[in-house]
Amino acid sequence: MPKSQFMDPDVLRKPGKIKFKDIDCNQYKKTIEQEKANFSNEDFVRIYHDMAVIREFETMLYSIKTKGEYNGIEYNNPGPAHLSMGQEASAVGQAYLLGVDDYIFGSHRSHGEILAKGMSAINKLDDKTLYDIMANFMDGRILKIVEKDQKSTKELAIDFLVYGALAEIFARETGFHKGLGGSMHAFFLPFGIYPNNAIVGGSATIAAGAALFKKVNKKNGICISNIGDGSVGRGPVWEAFNFAAMDQYTQLWEESYKGGLPVIFNFFNNCYGMGGQTCGETMAYGILARIGAGINPDMMHSERVDGFDPLAVIDCMRRKIDIIKNNKGPVIMDTLTYRYTGHSPSDSGSYRTPEEVKAWENYDVLKTYSAKLVDAKIADRAQFDAINEDVKALITKTCKMAADLEISPRMDLVAVPDEIEKLMFSNQKVEKMADGPCDVLMPMEENPRVQAIARKERFGIDKNGKPVSKNKVFQFRDALFEAIIDKFYKDPTLISYGEDVRDWGGAYAVYRGLTEALPYHRMFNAPISESAIVGSAVGYAMAGGRVIVELMYCDFLGCAGDEVFNQLAKWQSMSAGLLKMPVVLRVSVGSKYGAQHSQDWSSLVAHIPGLKAVFPATPYDAKGLMNAALMGTDPVVFFESQRLYDIGEQFHEGGVPKDYYEVEIGEPDIKRQGTDVTILTIGATLYKALKAADILKEKYNISAEVIDARSIVPFNYDKVIESVKKTGKIVLASDAVERNSILKDMAENISELAFDYLDAPPVVVGSRNWITPAHELEKFFFPQEDWIIDAIHERIMPIPGYVATNNFTDNEKLRRAKLGV
Amino acid sequence: MATPVIMPRQGQSVESCIITKWHKKKGDKVSQGDILFSYETDKASFDEEAPVSGEMLDVYFEEGDDVECLLNVCVIGEPGEDTSAFAPKKEGQGEEQPAEQPAQQAAEAPTAQPVAVKSEPADGFIKISPRAKGLASRQGIDYKYAEPTGPNGRIIERDIRALAESGVKFTSAAAGEYEKNPGVSGTGIGGRVSLSDFASAPAASAAPVQPAAEYTDEKVPNIRKVIAKTMHASLSDMAQLTLNTSFDATAIMNFRALVKENRESLGLENITLNDIVLYAVSRTLPEFRALNANWLGDTIRYFNVVNLGVAVDTPRGLLVPTVYAADRLSLNELSKQSKAVISDAQSGTINPDLLKGASFTVTNLGSLGVTSFTPVINPPQTGILGVCGIETKVKVVNGELKAYKAMNLSLTFDHRALDGAPAAKFLQKLAKNLENFTLMLAK
Repeated sequence: MPKSQFMDPDVLRKPGKIKFKDIDCNQYKKTIEQEKANFSNEDFVRIYHDMAVIREFETMLYSIKTKGEYNGIEYNNPGPAHLSMGQEASAVGQAYLLGVDDYIFGSHRSHGEILAKGMSAINKLDDKTLYDIMANFMDGRILKIVEKDQKSTKELAIDFLVYGALAEIFARETGFHKGLGGSMHAFFLPFGIYPNNAIVGGSATIAAGAALFKKVNKKNGICISNIGDGSVGRGPVWEAFNFAAMDQYTQLWEESYKGGLPVIFNFFNNCYGMGGQTCGETMAYGILARIGAGINPDMMHSERVDGFDPLAVIDCMRRKIDIIKNNKGPVIMDTLTYRYTGHSPSDSGSYRTPEEVKAWENYDVLKTYSAKLVDAKIADRAQFDAINEDVKALITKTCKMAADLEISPRMDLVAVPDEIEKLMFSNQKVEKMADGPCDVLMPMEENPRVQAIARKERFGIDKNGKPVSKNKVFQFRDALFEAIIDKFYKDPTLISYGEDVRDWGGAYAVYRGLTEALPYHRMFNAPISESAIVGSAVGYAMAGGRVIVELMYCDFLGCAGDEVFNQLAKWQSMSAGLLKMPVVLRVSVGSKYGAQHSQDWSSLVAHIPGLKAVFPATPYDAKGLMNAALMGTDPVVFFESQRLYDIGEQFHEGGVPKDYYEVEIGEPDIKRQGTDVTILTIGATLYKALKAADILKEKYNISAEVIDARSIVPFNYDKVIESVKKTGKIVLASDAVERNSILKDMAENISELAFDYLDAPPVVVGSRNWITPAHELEKFFFPQEDWIIDAIHERIMPIPGYVATNNFTDNEKLRRAKLGV
Repeated sequence: MATPVIMPRQGQSVESCIITKWHKKKGDKVSQGDILFSYETDKASFDEEAPVSGEMLDVYFEEGDDVECLLNVCVIGEPGEDTSAFAPKKEGQGEEQPAEQPAQQAAEAPTAQPVAVKSEPADGFIKISPRAKGLASRQGIDYKYAEPTGPNGRIIERDIRALAESGVKFTSAAAGEYEKNPGVSGTGIGGRVSLSDFASAPAASAAPVQPAAEYTDEKVPNIRKVIAKTMHASLSDMAQLTLNTSFDATAIMNFRALVKENRESLGLENITLNDIVLYAVSRTLPEFRALNANWLGDTIRYFNVVNLGVAVDTPRGLLVPTVYAADRLSLNELSKQSKAVISDAQSGTINPDLLKGASFTVTNLGSLGVTSFTPVINPPQTGILGVCGIETKVKVVNGELKAYKAMNLSLTFDHRALDGAPAAKFLQKLAKNLENFTLMLAK
């Protein structure tokens, strides 16, 4: 909340009423005659054609799924197929006006949307552009397969589109993204088709993020989140509404950026969330379009449109696109439709009657729309029959090719065993995601924080070996700031947001000084919407930008669970490398704040393939790793301990360099050399380990080597193994609770890699498997220096004269495990 | 705190001992050092002294009971103390004795202290870290002798290093030997114990010595079997016969006088004529392997070392302790060892393991004025040499009669194992060696 906004009690406490406008439902009433002004005969017929393609495509898949055969082609497709027969008019109507700059993001039931958007793009692109797209995509591999004796480039492109989508669904290497996405995640960027998402409502925050990219970087086009009526039940969807409609866009952002995000939250409302009848059973809205009324004064321009009439949908889209172009977005659309088949082919339909399905089929768009056109003498029946024949031939031909393992092989993981492995990370170094000037408010050297930092001691220990006072020392938070502001002046696409980052400077003052440096559109306060924060960052990166967002506490990771674990982590590899994910997610690990604000969940992140995770413990490493994270193209979860924000550099000679440098992600660092026992730590526990090492040295003449992991994923074991070969003994410690800590994984790897050198099993010292208690009791929960020594004494090498104070015995271990504590 | 008294394990091979006499009974006052009970193995008998003073609170076995080693036999303590915790378990529910117990016992009776394998846990395998194991293997150290200081009795790196510093290292060839003859100090590179160290090792008299596995088993040839059968049949159960010879003892007597003169300055043992004979036997026997052997029926066990049995007259009767690998001992060491085992045998403290395993026996009745006798073979050995007293004999030298000191030797051999000629050749060679003793020493 900026000071410029005055929360005036006299205004706020005034009596009054909130007035709602009417929400239109199915108000489209135009006749074909009236629409002739908007559509040529060809256009009218092409709409039918596109719907017919989708119908036949889905019919083919239904046949393959249920009978293992289509039109004489036998094929078994074990993967998913959520079909949309009945929803063709919605998809084609939506896509009709969209160009390649308009991005759609779909759901698990989006085959129709891909085809509709693709055919719309094909219709709009000139032949040369179209051909170049096909020729350049995957080095022309798909084009070579489909290019035969087509009459026109557009026909060829439709073959290309249908084949690429089907091969993707069949998990073939010749699919749009090598079969790594499949039915529920297919996309094709050159046509503005962005990823579909198997998580219900998953596209809402991502589409909002892509829209944010368009707004911030002044790109043409709108973004559409195509999700189902069932997704209204999901919190992240509501977070996305609000994120897209926040007041600040109109009240605080700079003039040329004013207005809500250019995004349509379109609900293909087929009346069922799987089997749950949304209207009447699982939802409260009655009519889905109602929900817009609660979001913002514009009621999100919400409207219900008849998705069984392509012309009604096109009409609605035309009006909504206008709203967005006038910076009045975002928009909610309730596109009423119906699916004839089940949620998936395994759906027995126990939740609806055949009469109900029949009643909708009476309005089947292919029948009713073609009848209207025949009536209006736009085309005759024979024309539609011919289209149906052509479409069937197209789908049959495509199915044959896609099912054929010779033409459409799967990934050969025998010949190329690392084919998926090498797609897990892009591992590129890209200084800026786009060229152009960086929008900043002042030269960096005039920044008050930059000037304050210039007066600080960059090494934390003075000439006499005493720590430099907190006020004078260059702190961990300064190190992060230095790396981040540097990037803001280099990469024009970089933006940052999170809770209380602007004005406040972040809860831990890392961003103090950035408010002065950056306009709103590059750094703003996010709502308390962790899903939207992370999900929109994913969308922002997908659309081509770089972003650094933050979760104020690691504990809030759960609130953004899907966005971190399914979206941020997976899109690079699910896209077979077509998408990059330059997102840095800062996660602050708490202390002193009890059970829901003091957990180190780095192990959860480490468990998910596709995320890089770092946890620096020194200012030097913080700056170097942040630079590396912001230079890369992979998602990096950047853990920071709240215990360390004010710490000075104690290790790097000469202190933290002023200039740019990187600490390579994945490389641990030996913070103290030793010979008798190795202590490997993650995060703030480094300092406990150093204390333990001091005690071991002074009292027991045991020389401990202390290694700071710095990174969790990836992790280069070389130094650790080398150390263990020397010492034969290793304790691993961090603030994460001991059970399933990533340290257990490391311990296991060390056991395998250095077994013959080990003098005792690697021992993990983690926090207790409890809730984090109050600060005053934390020493009983978080590993302390004496725990580390106790563990050495009890489990590795009894220390003569040492008396353990904590119980690290076998029996205690067994007892705790038995109780699950 | 009451103190239990266990049945000591007198040697590695001893599993139980018989209590022959109780000197104290339940309720008696005992003082530290009092003899509590006497017990015997199949080879030797011993007295057990009270480790502490107090009252005999409980006695668990009676005279004549065969008591498993390491079980509690009785308990000494203050009157009225509870002793139930010490009652030995009945057979089948035996509980491992705490490791301290035998160690304690050993401390009290140092003469019987075994050089313990330090880490032999109850669950049958030695806990050792991979690192410690690797280090032991690289340095040629037998980790079984390491004192485990790791958690749960695990041998860790520092234990191997400690063991190495204490000097017990082996060449890999010698590792097996050390197991049989622990306590040998190494003279090899880096203080390693090598096989040669065993040859010269003054084995501790009370060490739980296992007989050296220095032998080869060979099929008795058919001809031998026929001879054996014949000889055996002719001489009933035994096919023993005795050959006598005499040799000029001047050389060995001169040598002994020389030793006597220089003993102190050279730090030598009191080398006796018997020691000299033992030495000569040990060096002569290897050439006559049929005499350095055990007759085992279908096989004959030929020894690669000479494990010399030394017959000793003791108050309990004849005992024959063994000096192992006598052929690898210097004369001085042989003298030392033979005296030690003789002394232990006479005092009754002999380790029972030392009362077996001989490949040949020497018995000496010379001090009793015997000039010739028929020693009886100690089966399954194939020979025994009787050493008789010194007599003055005359011989013709350059046409003149000349008196000289002569010693008689009586060899009894088993005709099943060898024939008369080789036995005679052995005796002849032995006599020649003794007559030229200093030359033999030079070999």
